[in-house]
Amino acid sequence: MYILNFNNTAFITIALWIIGLLFILVDKKLKNARLIGNLFSIIGTLVIIGFLIFLWIEIERPPLRTLGETRLWYAMFLPIVGILTFIRWQYKWFLFYSLGLAILFLTINIINPENFDKTLMPALQSPWFVPHVIVYILSYALLGVSSVVSAWGLYLIKFKTFKPELLNKADNLVYMGFSLLTLGLLFGALWAKEAWGHYWTWDPKETWALLTWLCYLLYIHFRYKNKQKIITALWILALAFIVLLICWIGINYLAVSGYSVHTYSS
Amino acid sequence: MSNYKKIIWQYPWRYAESFIIAIALLILGFAINYIGKNTVSSIQWPVNLYLGIAIIILLLLIYFLFKKKPFVKWLSSIPAAISAICFYTFLVLLMGFIPQGSPKASGLVHEIGLSDIVSSHAFLFAQIYFLVILGLVTLRRSFPLKGNNTGFFLNHFGLWLTLFAASIGAGDLQRVTITVSKTNAVYYGVNQKGETIHDLGVAIQLKEFNIEEYSPKAFIIDNKSGDILSKQIFYLEKGNKGEIMDWEVEVDDFFEYGVCMGEKFHPVYDIGAAPAAYVITKNIKTNEINEGWISCGSFRFQGNFLKLSDRMLLVMAEPEPKKYSSKVKIYTTSGDDFETTIEVNKPVTVNGWKIYQLDYNHAMGKWSDISILELVKDPWIPVVYFGIFMLIAGALYMFWIGNKKKID
Ligand code: HEM
Repeated sequence: MYILNFNNTAFITIALWIIGLLFILVDKKLKNARLIGNLFSIIGTLVIIGFLIFLWIEIERPPLRTLGETRLWYAMFLPIVGILTFIRWQYKWFLFYSLGLAILFLTINIINPENFDKTLMPALQSPWFVPHVIVYILSYALLGVSSVVSAWGLYLIKFKTFKPELLNKADNLVYMGFSLLTLGLLFGALWAKEAWGHYWTWDPKETWALLTWLCYLLYIHFRYKNKQKIITALWILALAFIVLLICWIGINYLAVSGYSVHTYSS
Repeated sequence: MSNYKKIIWQYPWRYAESFIIAIALLILGFAINYIGKNTVSSIQWPVNLYLGIAIIILLLLIYFLFKKKPFVKWLSSIPAAISAICFYTFLVLLMGFIPQGSPKASGLVHEIGLSDIVSSHAFLFAQIYFLVILGLVTLRRSFPLKGNNTGFFLNHFGLWLTLFAASIGAGDLQRVTITVSKTNAVYYGVNQKGETIHDLGVAIQLKEFNIEEYSPKAFIIDNKSGDILSKQIFYLEKGNKGEIMDWEVEVDDFFEYGVCMGEKFHPVYDIGAAPAAYVITKNIKTNEINEGWISCGSFRFQGNFLKLSDRMLLVMAEPEPKKYSSKVKIYTTSGDDFETTIEVNKPVTVNGWKIYQLDYNHAMGKWSDISILELVKDPWIPVVYFGIFMLIAGALYMFWIGNKKKID
């Protein structure tokens, strides 16, 4: 019954990631350090993937319901995006960011132990559930990374060392993240139709998800014809992420969300 | 930016003009609500169809006759699009902060339409402004249609079609709640405005209502306040062992349907029978052992708890439903009757209605003698779905291509 110990798994994963990051930090001084660092990061990520699979089997439903479970997925997808992007673009800070955030998420879960509850209300038992949430979490990971690019960009601009190529990288992340956001919204709509009879009811979470979507839509269109207005673009990107955070986490604290199928139980 | 300053309202219009127009529309919308016209009433079949066709023809005419005019060029430009997106975003943002549809709403916020934004004039104008701009940019980029515009077309036309069909079709959406029972077939229901609707064309009789439940959970609660003290999740299933706070708990016996007679629970399948578990607890610190029956009770029978200490009780929570469904017999005006099962997430289609399992009598739980169903008719759904599928294709395309084009 208790083979599945979250704390041990999380400690092992965090240790592997930290070792990986240390190797990457001493990259220049040690032969093959980068390769070893990557390997450790990948193994750490595989451990988390394995844990999620076992958890899924153990609780007999996709572990996608509570905020703690969502954090687990985030702690899996952030490293995947981070490692792939690191291998492709060689940005160290990028890997540190994504693994750092993933470590943070796991730590939050260690500090706030949450039981993995088996029950799932009938309306949530639908084939749409997994694609809906997974697409969102992937999208949040990509957009989260793009927001760090924006913060980094605002910092560089202050010291006049900003290069426009950086924002082009952010654009690509936004395009990918935004298209997944669109899919998440649409899967949600199709699901709502099957479960509740209507595809859009202006439920507070829907409203905020639409807002997030609109902010990134604004960014895409602003960038398309205003390539030279870097600072405005960076600010739109940063603000869009704040809206995303409100949608994801803040919604539970807003006055408007009385009853919502989307408020996470704990 | 460029070093000459363009005089405002001189073509080509850019951001200043676009935003002034959007803000003017916003204020106009608020003003109309304020003056007294409270809600925008939705149009219905067939008026919405005619209006829809008229709008499409109008957009096509505007585009083909005047596409060289600077005003029409502006309407499909990025500054106009940005102002439309901001206009729309602003209203949705208000919706994200101001509780909507609250019956107690009053004051200025209510009078300019902000307590029910979706049916306010400002929202109507935002929608029209958005759709005109989106429609014209779609037309501009679609003639002639080039291969590398595929993604653009799927996204922009898909969104246009989805929003357009959803808005003009909104008035045709019908949602009727009907409460069915075993005694006789019910042929009427209540719509969202609270009116009773008789001409449904179907009648429904409940044959059997079924709930499948998860095993109930055990909690430790405070004797006085009734607050739940334990955080662990412990399922009451025969043979289950675990720890709750300072107690080792073991389930020695469990009945899904139990009735208490004298001191003991017996497995009895009768109306109101509730789950019951015989538990043995051992305090880890003091080794004190307690045992006894616990049950969550039902509308008919009292529950039972186990006293662990002066302050703490071990209780059973009511089991949560895993699935619920209604076996029903449906009679239609065309004369064919049939039996079917309606379950959450698995609606049934009859005579243009989709029938959803909505609710039941919670006080009676699994012994509920009624089932609440919802009948939904949404004739525009195929058009909306067509738009949604284009959008899905557009999103996949966008994910695949990224913004590579512009990097090169
Ligand atoms: C599903 C939502 C949308 C997506 C994914 C999307 C995506 C894009 C992209 C990627 C471009 C760059 C052009 C290109 O790559 O060829 C673009 C251009 C444009 N979009 Fe959108 N857009 C969406 C919604 C809208 C909306 C709602 C409007 C207007 C209200 C709009 C108006 C425009 C305009 C005016 C352009 C410039 C076209 C040109 O000048 O050629 N778009 N859009």
